[in-house]
Amino acid sequence: MIVDGLIFLGSSHFGYALAATTALDGLDAIGAGVALAAPVHPHRGGFAEANAAVAAAAAKAADRLVPLCRVDPWEGTDAVSELQRAVRAGARGLFLHPAEEHFRINDTRVRPLVEAAAELAVPVVVAAGYHLVAEPLQLGAAAGWTPDNPFVLTNGGQFNISGLAQFDAELALGHPNVHVHTTGMYREDFLERVVATFGPERLVFATAAPLFTMAYERQRVELAHFTDTERDLVFGGNSARIFGLAGAA
Amino acid sequence: MHMHIEEVASLGWKMSAEDCVRAMDAAGVHSAAVMTLTDLPGLNPQGLELIADACADHPGRLHGFLRLNPAHLETSKQLLRQAVTELGFKGLKLHPVSTLQHPGGAATIELIRLAGELGVPTLFHCGDEPMSTPLSIAEAAAACPDSTIVLGHMGGYFHVDEAIDVAEQHPNLILETSAMPYPDKIRTAVERVGAERVVFGSDGPVSSPSLERQKVVIADLGAPAAALVLGGNAAVLLGLS
Repeated sequence: MIVDGLIFLGSSHFGYALAATTALDGLDAIGAGVALAAPVHPHRGGFAEANAAVAAAAAKAADRLVPLCRVDPWEGTDAVSELQRAVRAGARGLFLHPAEEHFRINDTRVRPLVEAAAELAVPVVVAAGYHLVAEPLQLGAAAGWTPDNPFVLTNGGQFNISGLAQFDAELALGHPNVHVHTTGMYREDFLERVVATFGPERLVFATAAPLFTMAYERQRVELAHFTDTERDLVFGGNSARIFGLAGAA
Repeated sequence: MHMHIEEVASLGWKMSAEDCVRAMDAAGVHSAAVMTLTDLPGLNPQGLELIADACADHPGRLHGFLRLNPAHLETSKQLLRQAVTELGFKGLKLHPVSTLQHPGGAATIELIRLAGELGVPTLFHCGDEPMSTPLSIAEAAAACPDSTIVLGHMGGYFHVDEAIDVAEQHPNLILETSAMPYPDKIRTAVERVGAERVVFGSDGPVSSPSLERQKVVIADLGAPAAALVLGGNAAVLLGLS
């Protein structure tokens, strides 16, 4: 089964939006059975409401949408409490967005959240690649706080159209708990090198819809030079294992 | 409009003309503009010969662009003249992140104007890094209205809207689709600046020409516009028609 490793649900403060029904139609169109769903940065209101909305959408979607809990580390202990509440309510991971919530991923104030996720046995997914706040080596440093808990980075752990961030992204992958999404990564040779160098278990298909185009992101994995076994892991097996998705392996 | 051939052992870079042609064949791409990953004068002193030989070995399929460093202005001008008038090169490639030469700098402008006088376009790396953003390159477009300038990657990840904006403002700018990850932005570009000013590129062979072509297909431009983006415009830029 194909698992989309990340979509965003709701209407974002930053102008993009995706409704659950639209997301499910998109998943059907690309042949994906399940998606991990994080809330957008809400236009008004807090993350508790946004997490509840995603949980409600997931409850209506017959196991096809798996909620991730999004919090703002600037909320301190309240953010930890919200993570604990959301996980008790069924969230399967912690989602952090250093660019949209304006924090540096390896700032010590983020550490209690990352450690709480590990204690709750849920992976951490981070919007990666943003200059100053989510650079590959910063992400690797944060992953090192909880080396036994999966730490999943969006878009290959980087954003750089010259390919200059690949080197640091590969250093981040030196942390065995780091995994990277395929989303938006234009260098096919990087995706293939992740599989060849670090193993097919470390690369995870995701679309990050609505920020990226589902159909195109599926082609990114479809056309890469993977074996059938590798492609099965990338398309769904890895997400199933990392997030404990019964029936999606 | 954008593929690479290179051989620099010290950087571990080796991608051949055959690698390009193999990827082109897999994608159903007939012709490509090819250039090195390094600038002349620079790390690969044989860069001009490497591209010239590749084009000679694959006539009609590979078309040379010469990648130059405007900081070495007189040498670059001499190499560009030689490449275009004697070896049949079809364009100039500039990568300000690599050369540390601002697109609006005097040397860069002089080189772009020379390319225009020689009748060939200038392809810029145009992404998110300083000195390569659309607004930086727009300085060159304004200073060289008689030269055609192609915005390779049309702004990268975060500057695509700005690339379309500056293309609206400067009619000598062309948007090239490689690497940037948004099919819908190709459609927006066609709607705003016209299909005649959007051109397919792959940045292969390290990027996949097959995948990059799918981006244009998914953009759903309609047959006439898609034909221009996927081939007709490049044929004009490369002087093939």
